[in-house]
Amino acid sequence: MTVTQDKTSVPDQRRHGMQVRKRNGDLETVDVNKIVKAVERWVADLDEVDPLRVATKTISGLYDGATTAELDKLSIQTAAELIGEEPQYSRLAARLLAAYVDKEVRLQGVASFSQSIRYAYQQGLISDATAEFVARNARKLDDAVDEDQNLRFEYFGLRTVADRYLLRHPQERTVLETPQYWLLRVACGLSETPTEAIGFYRLMSSLAYLPSSPTLFNSGTSHTQMSSCFLVDSPKDELDSIYERYHQVAKLSKFSGGIGISWSRVRGRGALIRGTNGRSNGIVPFLKTLDAGVAAVNQGGRRKGAACVYLEPWHPDIEEFLELRDNTGEDSRRTHNLNLANWIPDEFMRRVEADGDWSLIDPSEVPELPDLFGDAFDQAYRAAEKKAVKTVKARDLYGRMMRTLAQTGNGWMTFKDQSNKLSNQTGEPGNTIHLSNLCTEILEVNSDDETAVCNLGSINLGAHLADGGVDWEKLRTTVRTAVVFLDRVIDINFYPSEQAAASNPRWRPVGLGLMGLQDAFFVLGLPFDSDQAKELSTRVQEEIFLTALEASAALAEQFGPHPAYAETRAAKGDLHHELWGATPSQTGRWSALKERVAATGLRNSLLIAIAPTATIASIAGCYECIEPQVSNLFKRETMSGEFLQINTYLVRELKARGLWTAAIREQIKRAEGSVQGIAELPADVREVFRTAWELPQKALIELAAARAPYIDQSQSLNLFMSAPTIGKVSSMYLYAWKAGLKTSYYLRSRPATRIQQATVAVTSTARTPVVTAPVVVAPVAAISDEEALACSLENPESCEACQ
Amino acid sequence: MTTIPEPRTAPAATRQQMLLDPGMDLTLRPMRYPHFFDRFKDAIKNTWTVEEVDLHGDLADLQRLSPAEQHLVSRLVAFFATGDTIVANNLVLNLYQHVNSPEGRLYLSRQLFEEAVHVQFYLNLLDTYVPDLDERTEAFSAVENIPSIARKAEFCFKWIDSIYELRELRTREDRRAFLLNVICFAACIEGLFFYGAFAYVYFLRSRGLLNGLASGTNWVFRDESMHMAFAFDVVDQVRQEEPDLFDAEMEQQVRDMLAEAVECEVQFAADILEQGVSGMSLGDMREYLQHVADRRLGVLGIEPMYGSKNPFAFMELQDVQELSNFFERRVSAYQVGVTGSVSFDDDF
Repeated sequence: MTVTQDKTSVPDQRRHGMQVRKRNGDLETVDVNKIVKAVERWVADLDEVDPLRVATKTISGLYDGATTAELDKLSIQTAAELIGEEPQYSRLAARLLAAYVDKEVRLQGVASFSQSIRYAYQQGLISDATAEFVARNARKLDDAVDEDQNLRFEYFGLRTVADRYLLRHPQERTVLETPQYWLLRVACGLSETPTEAIGFYRLMSSLAYLPSSPTLFNSGTSHTQMSSCFLVDSPKDELDSIYERYHQVAKLSKFSGGIGISWSRVRGRGALIRGTNGRSNGIVPFLKTLDAGVAAVNQGGRRKGAACVYLEPWHPDIEEFLELRDNTGEDSRRTHNLNLANWIPDEFMRRVEADGDWSLIDPSEVPELPDLFGDAFDQAYRAAEKKAVKTVKARDLYGRMMRTLAQTGNGWMTFKDQSNKLSNQTGEPGNTIHLSNLCTEILEVNSDDETAVCNLGSINLGAHLADGGVDWEKLRTTVRTAVVFLDRVIDINFYPSEQAAASNPRWRPVGLGLMGLQDAFFVLGLPFDSDQAKELSTRVQEEIFLTALEASAALAEQFGPHPAYAETRAAKGDLHHELWGATPSQTGRWSALKERVAATGLRNSLLIAIAPTATIASIAGCYECIEPQVSNLFKRETMSGEFLQINTYLVRELKARGLWTAAIREQIKRAEGSVQGIAELPADVREVFRTAWELPQKALIELAAARAPYIDQSQSLNLFMSAPTIGKVSSMYLYAWKAGLKTSYYLRSRPATRIQQATVAVTSTARTPVVTAPVVVAPVAAISDEEALACSLENPESCEACQ
Repeated sequence: MTTIPEPRTAPAATRQQMLLDPGMDLTLRPMRYPHFFDRFKDAIKNTWTVEEVDLHGDLADLQRLSPAEQHLVSRLVAFFATGDTIVANNLVLNLYQHVNSPEGRLYLSRQLFEEAVHVQFYLNLLDTYVPDLDERTEAFSAVENIPSIARKAEFCFKWIDSIYELRELRTREDRRAFLLNVICFAACIEGLFFYGAFAYVYFLRSRGLLNGLASGTNWVFRDESMHMAFAFDVVDQVRQEEPDLFDAEMEQQVRDMLAEAVECEVQFAADILEQGVSGMSLGDMREYLQHVADRRLGVLGIEPMYGSKNPFAFMELQDVQELSNFFERRVSAYQVGVTGSVSFDDDF
């Protein structure tokens, strides 16, 4: 292709006479050198960045008379647009953005952390306690701020922080804190001494651990709702209870909580209503109302609320329930904002396997089913079958569930019996887990007057590596700090509903999660589906669980066990991994721990949950939770705009081999982020850089099952299938159930066809938008399924609350 | 003037029936153009409905836009208000009539449905974006009121009219006129006017603005990509069957047509960017349009005219798969129409 215009020189009409308007209103001629200088300030450790290129490209997009603020923003955007060629531009863009934010904060007369808190307090944004704490310890805290920690941020992470996490002036909407002030503010909101606050701040600013978004949003502020998840029991089978639930959901939504709510107790369509001698319209119209309610409540002004409805498969309306997310059919029977999950007893899966019948039973006839699990459920269910409203083939219903999953990604498969039998909270009869949460990683008991609550945080495993392995001592230190601060949230937290306030202090559950597992595998060169990867992931999880239990035991020694401790299985001497019958590796520490627990109990009934971490992983710049990478090249779309994400580990590998060329980049782009077709890469390297679509899903399930004994709640496990069929999906979920998983999350699939690529060179195939199975030149031997090679990427919709 | 043999109700054994032969072929078996049928099936998998696009968040964004950006958006939606209707009209009045293949017509029927959904989407968009009834009426009559849009519309009408009177494609000239119409709608209208418009939308999205518009546009864009691909399939098919229709004169006509389309779109860009939009200069936009025009020529096997590069990094982002967050935008990627039955021993 011929180039008519030299892109490195600025066209005449732009070079001469182009002016910008400064903040004081004066006009000034645009000076390339000035922009170059502003960029050069940040590139000491970024050897691949070309400041002149950023400057000229910035000017080319500018118009005459733009403001200097527009110029600054455009230079950030311009740097960000070069990330696809050279990932170092991501750091540059982040630093330019940090400088921009800094300028905005300083322009308001804020020169230090304590001034920022004072100013925000005057605007009514900071709690009395935090304002006093900071005023009392101003000098120590101000000295602790380390602006150099900003250098760690990637652009997407810092952009997210700047747009969504930093406190803003209520009217002016200007930013009142720098990113480092923000993290220190979060630490101060949860601390009792400045030393404690500074220690926690340092941990977070090193990006080795981050609490979940509600804590990052609200800690230290005047509304301290810091919990992520709320699990609301099904309304009772009566109108007042249903409308009470709408009210409760609205209150929980308002303060950024992600909501799981069961609907299994409410009678189905056609059931008799004795009061009026009429027939019920079933649950769908009520869920439609819930749908509208959830959409109407804006989470803290940030976004629409979100909820997941759980239903057991014996409910008479189960078939209509599975159609709620379809994009065809009568809209009055569709709920576009609700997520759906199946809460499945083992009896159902057994009948699917045996090709048996399945009875649909109305809860108004048999109200006890939601409260039973295991043998008790099986007996009650079988006894109730003579009252069945309808009988279907279990496999037909299972097939419909699979269809819903394949078509919408929704209708998650979560397993009631395993969730209950292997829970620390179900040690006494009458305590039942009725559902999971919006992201299927939380499993906690609840009831009509107790709404389960959980607050979360995640360890960045990629930040705990050293000398070709895990830095175990660092990992333990992080876990200990994390547990203390997760536990602290329980007491400081604001509870948006009385049912939530009733539950959390009694059980004191927390959810310590993990992110960056894929980063660790990349650094250590382990294929995701290798035995070593599984071994490492299991050992890491054991270490985290064991250390978390030790930390909780230490808290119990200091403050006593949580009030409901006597009702737990731990009180009877059984820890979670023992319920699984797993054989741990650190036998000495485990037996010492058991003695401590026997003596003084545990401060927390539950400790571990692997949340999806979409947002905080972005902030930390690592891969999400326990997930494999979805693509070596993809973009993110958020409220802040679009962001190119490229696998920096791959770029490093390619550069080392002299393969990071425009041609290879285009090849990766055309293959939608797959490197399986790059013949120059040795097979073992290609194996490491497979994407989620190119991995056998069996391996994902097996990794999850292997670590599950050390996760006392559950894990948000997504499964990936580029071209799902009912046969494959049904085989996969049966396998997941047999492997003993408590829950699973989205089924990710990909579009049937896609938009024609506009910027890759025209070739004979490039104009065909149909890419359901792109041709892969040299697949690695381990993959048999051609369709699994088709790389793509879906939207990991995720609960902000859990992130 | 060369005359093509009289059309027959059934193809004679002596001469293979060709795609542009006049008539109403009703025979799906044996299927002559199975790749057209595949296009039809693929299109069905992309079904989406207007109700799935949430424009709610856009209203807050509209308030935030600068006057220059507001001007951009109002011109853009005014173009969208009638753009797809014009395409649909050409489809019914011209394409459907002359593509004599039942499987090809299946695809065109599907395309017509998609155009209707697009029209509905933009109707919904305008109703949402432009609450004032008078302003709304004005937006819908942009073809008359706004010179930069009128010019584009004239270009479209000229090419619709060019073969409107043709009931049957009997002569070589008829067929070449038809091909120019197909190429015009694929390369210039869907392939350039719409691609130009999409660039503005994606520019805004890359700045985090008007996500509702962008997510709907994503789906529209996906459909348009298919329409273009099908149209070029038709061109290829005809080229295979009647290679002599394509010659240097035709190449020159295509080049002239694209050059005119680029000029139409550049004058529209000058209007749209009149007040100065940071990050999108008129110079860059011209270069982008020339780059797109070159790509269209490339697909037709014609040498590029401009040699321009794509200056918009945010358009490169459109070639990369998304990973969005359901709190923020609807999923635009799930398939409709999954097949198979329950089984327990499939590989996964």
